[in-house]
Amino acid sequence: MSSPDLEAHVRGTSRYIDDMADPAGMLHAAAVTSPSPHAELRAIDAAPARALPGVVAVLTAADIPGLNQIGGIIQDEELFATSTVHFIGQPVAVVVAETFHQARLGARACVLDLEELTAIFDAREAAAAGELITASRTLDTGDVDAAWADCDVVVEGRADTAGQEHLYLETQAALAIPEEGGRIKVWSSTQAPTAVQRITARVLGLPMNLVEVEVTRLGGAFGGKEDQATPWAVMAALAAQRTGRPVRLTLNRHEDMVCTGKRHPYSSDFKLGLKNDGAIVAYEVHLWQNAGAAADLSPAILERSLFHATGAYFVPNARIHAASCRTNLIPFTAFRGFGAPQAMFVMEAAIDRAAEVMGLSRSEIQAKNLLSEGDEFPYGMRVKRSRARRSFNEAAGRFDLAAVENEIAEHNATHAVVKRGAAAMPVCFGISFTNAVLNQAGALVHVYTDGSVNVSTGAIEMGQGVNAKILAVASAALGVPRERIRIENTTTRTIANTSPTAASSGADLNGSAAGLACRAIADRLRSVAAERLDTPFDRLSIADGVVLADGEPTGLEWNELVWNAYTKRVNLSAHAHYATPGIWYDKETEQGEPFAYHVFGTAILEVTVDCLRGTSTVDRVRMVHDGGRSLAPAVDLGQLEGGLVQGLGWMTMEELVFHQGRNLSDTLSTYKIPDLLGTPVIEGHFLDDADNPKAVMQSKAIGEPPFMYGIGVYFALLDALRAFRPDRKGVYDAPLTPEKALMFLHGDR
Amino acid sequence: MAKKKPIKDAAESGVTRRGFLGSVGAGAAAVAAGVSTRAEAIPEITDPEEMVQIALTVNGRLHRLLVEPRWTLLFVLRERLGITGTKAGCERGECGSCSVLIDDLPRYACLTLALEAEGTEITTIEGLLDGEELGDVQRAFAEHDAFQCGYCTPGQIVAAEGLLRANPAPTDHEIRHGMSGNLCRCGTYQHIVNAVTHAADGRRKGGGS
Repeated sequence: MSSPDLEAHVRGTSRYIDDMADPAGMLHAAAVTSPSPHAELRAIDAAPARALPGVVAVLTAADIPGLNQIGGIIQDEELFATSTVHFIGQPVAVVVAETFHQARLGARACVLDLEELTAIFDAREAAAAGELITASRTLDTGDVDAAWADCDVVVEGRADTAGQEHLYLETQAALAIPEEGGRIKVWSSTQAPTAVQRITARVLGLPMNLVEVEVTRLGGAFGGKEDQATPWAVMAALAAQRTGRPVRLTLNRHEDMVCTGKRHPYSSDFKLGLKNDGAIVAYEVHLWQNAGAAADLSPAILERSLFHATGAYFVPNARIHAASCRTNLIPFTAFRGFGAPQAMFVMEAAIDRAAEVMGLSRSEIQAKNLLSEGDEFPYGMRVKRSRARRSFNEAAGRFDLAAVENEIAEHNATHAVVKRGAAAMPVCFGISFTNAVLNQAGALVHVYTDGSVNVSTGAIEMGQGVNAKILAVASAALGVPRERIRIENTTTRTIANTSPTAASSGADLNGSAAGLACRAIADRLRSVAAERLDTPFDRLSIADGVVLADGEPTGLEWNELVWNAYTKRVNLSAHAHYATPGIWYDKETEQGEPFAYHVFGTAILEVTVDCLRGTSTVDRVRMVHDGGRSLAPAVDLGQLEGGLVQGLGWMTMEELVFHQGRNLSDTLSTYKIPDLLGTPVIEGHFLDDADNPKAVMQSKAIGEPPFMYGIGVYFALLDALRAFRPDRKGVYDAPLTPEKALMFLHGDR
Repeated sequence: MAKKKPIKDAAESGVTRRGFLGSVGAGAAAVAAGVSTRAEAIPEITDPEEMVQIALTVNGRLHRLLVEPRWTLLFVLRERLGITGTKAGCERGECGSCSVLIDDLPRYACLTLALEAEGTEITTIEGLLDGEELGDVQRAFAEHDAFQCGYCTPGQIVAAEGLLRANPAPTDHEIRHGMSGNLCRCGTYQHIVNAVTHAADGRRKGGGS
């Protein structure tokens, strides 16, 4: 079972915001943005723009009736800069005009009077200058200082990862429509309709009940539309409110790449201590997160980095320091993995360094230290139903890791120029928003008198297949075929106070709520059937649209039962609310149970490097993944493969380059993402018998974890490079582009 | 071939906005049938904003409309004809979301001027249906779950159709090569290869259109 959007997607009739018909009188908006990474903003001269044909309005902070503040976690970000601009691409005004083109000409015509200020772009420099978004945090478990003395080997080093552009193919888009009574309707390409509603209300000076935000689907998001969709939707709403006309704001690709946040670059120092047999004794790491110019989601992302710093391994003594550093780059934001990939890369780098020093194979150290049942994470939670070892062993066995490693060693011994490498990459990823408040969801279900069903939740469909999963839950809970059920658009008018569809938890939370609402209706219908059939309630069930007694068809069908219930004035609608039980976290002690459960898995990745040219091929990636009992196997396989491909891109080719605060990789010709030619043969297997009582119908979240399988490719490449240059030590500076590979192969440093 | 007569004002020509077209159906401004001839010369252009009358054959229907010479085919399809299956992804010929067939060849509509496309047969995703039913490539993409968010999907399907028209029996490598101009950020590439392979097999067995 795939997406309910299947038919529309292949017909080309699925509508994204830019496909929606223009409402009568609609205007277009374009932002005026800062060309400077840090400057005093002395004046904005909008007169040249206002004089242009078609320009209807130029709105600045002075035109905001409410608060000029769009910060979520921390209120440190203006919608329109007032006295200071903090990064290139920061909005200072919005031009509203009759056409898309006129709006852009208007934006270009505005003149900014700027006085340049000193700018910082490096996270470590920012930390040294005291430029932190929030106080830095430390997780501390065991006794790290004492543990170093117990270690046979201690290795140290530095590991860096660059940012990553989301490159969702549908750019940021919003359409705002003024309605009667001061009400504003906003169509937004957002993962977080409630956030857009809240910030729109705040900026426009309206109560939230006068702002409706609706979403049909997104053309990709990957975290890039969790917080970063908001400013554009708010600008459209403000322009609609001020002009009294519908306003569309769609970024073009270049604007999107320049003006929106991306995955955080991290820089880290690690120290790892082990016994001679490879057992990890102690680990200490400093993580410097480059947050960019405003908090956005950085503190939450930093928290997930802390929680995932030890990867899929048990580390008895660990100290993890993390600092979120304010720089004059675009505010970096959520991206699949949410800080975990950056921290896990450092752990893998440390293991690689240890393997290098100790003469052990990396996979030997990995296998020795995987999480076992009951092991404690540095944040105090004990792992339950750990499948770290099981998935690693199954991958190593099924794909014969030892044979792969031997074959590669043999190849490298007999080939001078073309070298190969392989790596195992075990993943452990915690499921739940680390901010416990967000782990709640609502659902509203209507059964109509013809037996058809509408299900509304707070979940946003963005290609991850959440609607397919909710459909599976609703169909099972009601006992009606999927064809009778429609998953509705997501709107704040139907479901209030929604959490963003993020943290891989969309199906867990919203699916659970939908299941509760559907079961409430199903129970009422069974009561009606019990009376009608004169059969005890407990013996009745509904399946595939038929009422069963003791599992046998009764002849009473769904449509008739629904009509019967209606005539008896039984409520055929239900609202339900779900809150993940048992999760908590104390930031004072840095201890708690922040996750409902963990997802596990292992990938085996193989690469070939042309050591004359530095170019490489990812030959094959095979994965064993703990997917629970899948609600939608086709969807989960797609997530497994797609997450991996993005991870491979981050590690090998997606090179985000900033120079003096300017993004030089601001088009698809300067920022390369994986294409079909560069995608390896992928094999994904799911663990059998993988129950999960912590999520709806024993399923498991899947969105983010597969991304981190991609980390393995870095180390596979490094092995191939070291086979050519055995005199060189590993360097940990992702992405490992062909250019960097060439420097490693033929450079001296 | 007669020289195009430039028309200054879009309003007097009756060219309408996508919003209006969307509400009454894209056929409103179209002529049901007509014989199109390939443009032998691009009309002389003195003012890039001067409207020029052209005729485009899209999915077998002839549309007469006024365009600015600088308008891309992508813009005209989406904003003037209301044919929105063709998506804007990068508008620089780098992502493939706007792929259409021009005389059977996959082309980026964002890099093609509407003027250039006059006299050609333009096929968009909407033109690949088999009557009301899915065309064979569309069906193959559906059966193989060769999509996630769906945004690149129309371009992928059009590119696959173009590939199969030029090469009905592509090898795995030819499929990967032929489809590499269409990016899918969700990374559903393996499914796309499977779908195209399946569609090619179907055509060889005579099941396709």
